[in-house]
Formats: sequence, C-alpha cells, structure tokens
Amino acid sequence: MFYVIFESTRSALISIFAHGLRSFLTTLGIVIGVASVIAVVSLTQGMSAFIGESFSSLGSNSLTIQSYTPIAEQMRGVRARLTPEDLELIERRGESIASITPILYANRTSQIRYAAQTTFSQIMGTTYAYSEVSQSYMLLGRFIAESDNLTRRRVAVIGEKVREDLALPENPVNEYVELGGEWFKIIGLLEPKGDIMGFNQDDIVLVPYSTMVSLQGNQARTDIQIQLSLSEDADVEDVTRQLTALLRNAHDLGPDEDDDFVINTAEQLMETFDTIINMVTLVIGGIVSISLLVGGIGIMNIMLVSVTERTREIGICKAVGAKRHHILAQFLIEAMLLSLLGGLIGLALGYGLGTAISSSIDSFPPASIPLWAIALALGFSGFVGVLFGILPAAKAANLDPIDALRYE
Amino acid sequence: MSSVDESAAAKDAGEDSVLIRMQDIRKHYEMGSQIVRALDGISVEIGRGDWVSFIGSSGSGKSTFLNILGCLDRPSGGEYFLNGVYVEELGANQLAEIRNREIGFIFQSFNLLPRATALGNVMQPLVYRRISYRRRKEMAMEALRRVRLDDRMDHLPNQLSGGQRQRVAIARALVTEPSILLADEPTGNLDSRTGAEIMQLFDQLHREGQTLILVTHEEDVAGLGDRVIELLDGKIIRDRRAGEPLH
Repeated sequence: MFYVIFESTRSALISIFAHGLRSFLTTLGIVIGVASVIAVVSLTQGMSAFIGESFSSLGSNSLTIQSYTPIAEQMRGVRARLTPEDLELIERRGESIASITPILYANRTSQIRYAAQTTFSQIMGTTYAYSEVSQSYMLLGRFIAESDNLTRRRVAVIGEKVREDLALPENPVNEYVELGGEWFKIIGLLEPKGDIMGFNQDDIVLVPYSTMVSLQGNQARTDIQIQLSLSEDADVEDVTRQLTALLRNAHDLGPDEDDDFVINTAEQLMETFDTIINMVTLVIGGIVSISLLVGGIGIMNIMLVSVTERTREIGICKAVGAKRHHILAQFLIEAMLLSLLGGLIGLALGYGLGTAISSSIDSFPPASIPLWAIALALGFSGFVGVLFGILPAAKAANLDPIDALRYE
Repeated sequence: MSSVDESAAAKDAGEDSVLIRMQDIRKHYEMGSQIVRALDGISVEIGRGDWVSFIGSSGSGKSTFLNILGCLDRPSGGEYFLNGVYVEELGANQLAEIRNREIGFIFQSFNLLPRATALGNVMQPLVYRRISYRRRKEMAMEALRRVRLDDRMDHLPNQLSGGQRQRVAIARALVTEPSILLADEPTGNLDSRTGAEIMQLFDQLHREGQTLILVTHEEDVAGLGDRVIELLDGKIIRDRRAGEPLH
C-alpha cells in the first residue's frame, strides 16, 4: 500500500510539474479560496487576541453600572436613572469595593475651544478614584484631586488626542480651554492608551464630578454611571448579585419588575466581543469556503479532461500490468496533491494578505493565524481534492484496456 | 492470485514444453441483432521457445486473437491455458498481473508514454511489481543495453526515431522477463531498413530462447519465424512451417 502511494505520488508530481501553468490555473480556485479564508481568519483572530489583551489591561475585576430603560419604556417617556444617592448607597453598603467613582457625561454640549481651535470630545465629570478604576495614568501634571471636587474647581485633565486637536502646546498644563461657556484650567495630560475597536481612548476630557453637576443645573434629572473596582479576592458574581439587590431595593422594584440598570463587567464585555468576532469569522469563512467548493469543481473538470487526454497512456499502463487500484491511486493522489499545493500557496498568500491589510491600516491589530485554521485549510483542500478527484480517478481506473489502447 | 502462484509452481515442477494451449476459442460480439463471430473455434498449441507468426488480412480476427492471447480480453467460449494457468477464471486484476509477468507487448504504434524518457518507459512495468526505484533503474538499463539503446536512455519518445522507439518498446517488453513476447505488426510503422533491423533483433532474441508470437499481414515478416499460422474469418485455415511454399 505504502509502495503504491509512494510511486503514485512520484508520478503525480511529475505530471503536475510537467504542465506547470495548467496545474497552477487548475488549483487557482483553491489558492484563492484558502487565501481568503486565511486572510479573514487571521484578521479576526488578530483582533480577538488584541481585544483580549486590551480588556485584561482594564482589569477583570472592574464593574460599570449604568441605568437601563427598555425601548418600549423610553417610548412612553419613562427614563430610568442612577442617582448620586445610589452612588452613596453603594459606597456605604457595597462589599469588597476597592475604589468607586461616579461618571457624569456632559449632556448639553461636548464642544471644547482653545484660542481659535474648536473640537468635540467625550467630556466626563468624575472623581480622583477614576484614575485607579480605569487605570489611567498621568503623562504631565496631576489628576483630579478630592479637593477639586469639594470646591467645584474648574479644572480639566485631557487626553493626548484632545491636545492635538486643539493645537495645545506640548505641555498644555496651565492653559485654559472653554467648556460649555466656562473656562477650565488644564491640570494634567493623560498617558496615551490607543484605540479599542476604533474608539480612541485618548479623546477624552475629565473634569471634577461636582463641577459637572453644577454645570448641568437640573440635578433632579441627573443620570450618572458608576465605575468601581473590586478588591483582589472579591468574587465578581457575588458582588454583582449583592449590588443588584441593593439597587433593586433602592429603586423600589417589585419581584416581577425588571432591573432598571445594568452591571457590566470587563469580562462580560470581552465575551460579547469574542462572540461577535467568532460569528463574523464563521459567517465570512462560510461564504468564502463556497469558493473552495468552486475550486474543487475546477479541479474535477481538469482531471476529467486529463483522464480523456491520457486515455492511451492509461491503456499502456494497463497493458504492462497496472491494476485498477494503481490507476485509481495515481489520479486520486494527483488531484489531492494539486489541491493541497493550492492550499499551501493559498495559506502563504492569505497570511501575507492578512499581514498587509493589518499593517496598512493603522488602528488594526497584527494578524495572527491559529494552528487550527492552518490544519483546517490544508485538511479541507486535501478533502476537496479527494472528493472531486474520485470521479475522474474512477473513470480512469474503469477504462477497458483495449478501448484505451485504441483511443486516438 | 493463487492461480498465478500455481503457474510459478508449474514452472518449477519441470518445464512443460507447451506454453500456450488453446482449445476451441470463440469470441462473439453482438451488434444489434446480428452476432459477429470474430473468432470461431481456434485451437492451437505453442511451445516454449517457438517463434510463431499469425498472418491474415484485416477482418480475419487477428486483433481479437491478439487481445485474447495477451490477456487484454476474455474469450466468449473455449479453453485457454497460459503457462499452466487457466486464464478464463481470472479477474481483471489477476489478468493485469498475468500481463505484467507473462507477456511483453510490442505494438505497431510503439505505445510509449510520451512524457517519460526511454528509461522511464522501460521502468514502468516494474512499478507494478513493488521493485525499488534503484533496482528498477538497473533492470531497465540492462534491458536497454540488450536492444543497444543505452546511449539514448534520457531521451523522450519524440526525440527518438521510429526504430529507436520500437527498440524502447522491446526493452520495455523484455525487462519483465516474460514468457512470451507478443508483437503486433512491429514493423508496420517503420521503413524497410529499420524494419529489417528490428526483425534482426527478434531473431537474436529467439536464438536466446525467447518465445515470440508475431501478428502481421506481411508475408516477408511472417516468414522469418519457425511456424506460420493463417487466419481467415476467425478460423485457422493453414498451419505450416515457415519456408514451405504457399501453394
């Protein structure tokens, strides 16, 4: 058996390379199919790996609590809110909380002006604890202090992107910017963090929470976000359960009413992203693998032509003693090798393509191919070769030696 | 497979001087409602080391006879023993094995593999015998030497002359050391001088003890052997010693 495979492989290789161009064109469908599958997989997997890293830098034991109103409720004009009282409640009664900070987003305008430059950014009111919860560190100057909040100081910490957009000097500390009609003094510049999924984490302006509250005026409708980080040994699920109970109680929710808030963990967020990316991989991969099928049909076509073309040769081989399985093995192995070679070329091409795309788009993470994708691509292309090689090979093996010898 | 082993056993058990025994071989084809009797009761014995020529015009059943003799086809009736093996009972794969071991084919149109060199062509039958590449190469080179073509081993068939191609084909037939060399119009595609060279080669092989069966329509070619058998309409009409007058 091994001998037959070995000899068939030898003659298949000779035949493939004897018609170099034709072999290449035959397998082009497989090349393109595998290349696109690998390119897609390498990009999405690269992204997935990158997201995993970014989120683990956020710390898996940080939680975000937001108000949540179902759309049906929103239509009726109802809006759930998280209030400063909720914050206080959690501060007082929450377990295993290392640090906690409210975040209040600017609700009127997010326009910032410096001299003649104007830009829009994400403006958030928060406290000194934000630095720890979100793991933001200073490049220059200082972060918002407790006293800034107590005295509602008009000070701001900005991200690198905002500094660039406003054409502020390299060291923007002590410059003044205009936010919602008020002048704020810049006290610090955050260390750049880069992008997550196209969201620039450096496009950010932080002001003291109490300053933001006073800017917004109508405190009855304040809806805040609460971010907190847990102590090292805390169990995220336990804390989530406890906080849910606390807030449900505070919001007077009956047993049959849904939560009017959501508690997100970084881990959850990561899982959501992973699920989305895997879905995308699967769907695109599925669509692209149709091209592998088409490639397989191309191989079958050429193999059928090749059997007809070599009918006389097959007859000669049979006359000098080739058995059915010799001829079968020869054509089957030729189809499989053709397909497998296409798969290998496609693999290299797809990886190159993925790397080229990811490096030509700045914000894209580097491409990475998981081993299973390589195995799958090669396995699948080999399988396609066998699947579509069987028919021509059987046709060749079943030829009658007399007819085959007579064939012109 | 067992019958092939038996033949080997028969070989060892003492040389049976009869290599081929055919008894009332018939081959009938149905063409629509008509039955064509391509062979109609052929009985013949051929001994080891004989040189027998079958002669007949086209349509005499020559080709059908050759196919059956060469185990490419099975008769519709009658008995055929080749080297002690009862051929009719064999399946397609066993027939392939018989062709590989017992028969060396030489065709009118050479039938070489166009993409293989002379050496590759001669090595081809040995591939089906599980012989290592190195050993195959040695055996093929030896066979090419026997037909005096060892200086053209790396040439493709289309780089060789007709006579050279036929010598490659003969080397390919010889390399398996078959019981019979079966030649179908071996000089049909060659000019007379080259044809004569090929016939000289056959003569030499015959003197070395090789059993030769030739199928031809040329009286000059047929006359070179020991024995001439004439076919007409699927029947043997004459079986004579070569050199005997025709009438």
